[in-house]
Amino acid sequence: MLMALFQAPPDTTGYMIAGFAVFFGVMLVYLVSYFVRFKNLRQDLEVLQEIDSEE
Amino acid sequence: MQSKPRFLSILDTVTAILFVVAVAMVFFYAPLERTMGQVQKVFYFHVATAWVGMLGFMVAAVVGVLYLTKNDRKYDIAGLAAIEISLVFFFIAIILGSIWARPVWNTWWTWDPRLTTATIVELIYAAYMMLRQGIEDPDRRARFGAVYAILGFISVPLTFISIRLLRTIHPVVIGNSDPSAEGSFSMTGPMKTTFFYSLFVFSVLFVDLFWHRIRMGKLAAKVEELRLKVSS
Amino acid sequence: MKNNSQPANFFRALWAVVWKDLSAEWRSRELLTAMLVFALLVILIFNFALELDARARASVTSGVLWVTFAFAGTLGLNRSMAAEKDRGCLDGLLLTPVDRSAIYFGKAIGNLIFMFVVEVIVLPIYSVLYNINLFRPGLLLVIVLGSIGYVAVGTLLSTMAVQARTRDILLPILLFPLVVPVMIAAVKASGGFLQGLPWDEISIWINLLIVYDVIFVAVAFMFFDYVVEE
Repeated sequence: MLMALFQAPPDTTGYMIAGFAVFFGVMLVYLVSYFVRFKNLRQDLEVLQEIDSEE
Repeated sequence: MQSKPRFLSILDTVTAILFVVAVAMVFFYAPLERTMGQVQKVFYFHVATAWVGMLGFMVAAVVGVLYLTKNDRKYDIAGLAAIEISLVFFFIAIILGSIWARPVWNTWWTWDPRLTTATIVELIYAAYMMLRQGIEDPDRRARFGAVYAILGFISVPLTFISIRLLRTIHPVVIGNSDPSAEGSFSMTGPMKTTFFYSLFVFSVLFVDLFWHRIRMGKLAAKVEELRLKVSS
Repeated sequence: MKNNSQPANFFRALWAVVWKDLSAEWRSRELLTAMLVFALLVILIFNFALELDARARASVTSGVLWVTFAFAGTLGLNRSMAAEKDRGCLDGLLLTPVDRSAIYFGKAIGNLIFMFVVEVIVLPIYSVLYNINLFRPGLLLVIVLGSIGYVAVGTLLSTMAVQARTRDILLPILLFPLVVPVMIAAVKASGGFLQGLPWDEISIWINLLIVYDVIFVAVAFMFFDYVVEE
């Protein structure tokens, strides 16, 4: 405790928050893009299977 | 497309729990680093994402060799999956490194060997993606992708060595000549635990994402096949 | 007898590929002209962009030279492979009963010769323009080693690039990140020779170039089969 008082660490909280915001932000974007692509592929597959069975 | 395997659902849940624990450990268990303050907490995920990125690029090179020898589509799907995930993780690692460097080295960017090599690696695999996009024939795309993934992975150590030599002979103008010295710190017990635990969690996360991405790759291959069949 | 004739066949095929490229180029001269004019234009642009006065010249000459060679090299690599592909020569070559690696080495040697020709013409022009003597044995060694590494990877990648839809823009994007080690080592070694540094400080870069050349010639040779398979 005393040590902490003598040597207050520099305030870098802003950078820390920015770092984690980037981490979670990019992960979120990737996961959303993953789900969207997956859903689109599923739809494509259904449509194509329909066309295929009609022929 | 078969429904989601039960083991994958279990893995999803386990990964999510492990990940929440990792975040909690970073914030509540690992002590505050004295000279750098809060920003040091970014370090755990920075190293973990970089590690997972490198792991994925290595996996891609290995399955690339397997594809060329066995000629089985599943290796191509796995290669693309590994590289896509690693590109995302490596991108995060580079940005986190830059954010960490700002308060510690007093600059957003230094031409430090690791940072520079990481950026070149990111560009190599971005080129890999562009190569794949430019080729329609699935077989050829898979072959070229495998060859480029192997070539890229082989060049990484050479790139790192050459940049490292460049920096040690020519000291950088901004900051210290050896940037790893400034901002380095010795890890105490709880820090070490958090650090290695993060590496472990991110490896599990990689496996989980990798599995998901492979399933999507298989679905995409099926759609592509069907599309060719329908249009012909 | 069989063991004897196989290497002979290999070299005959290799030489035939090189000779075909050289004689075709001798007739049209379109590739070399384009590379040369382009190289001189790059130097011209650098002259204005960097204000190449006497002091700046000493430190940036090696960089300017290697950027010029790299850009002109991409142009040549792209063109030489695109010509094969467009005229259907590549398919013809692949149908011939010769070892695929003979085709690879033939194309690579052809590309290397074009690059050497450009370098041999650019060096005296640069020497005259900026009053620097660039004909030093050390520098020539670096240029040979650097060009080998560049062309070894470049020939393989241009074979891939011409078979893609986006071929003209693809080659530099594929090639440049992989030749970063060559560029760094070649620029540092050339700069070292131009500034008259002792061999001890340069040898490490020469070693790096040799290691790169050996690894990538071997790797490109191993994988060429897979990029021309039909």
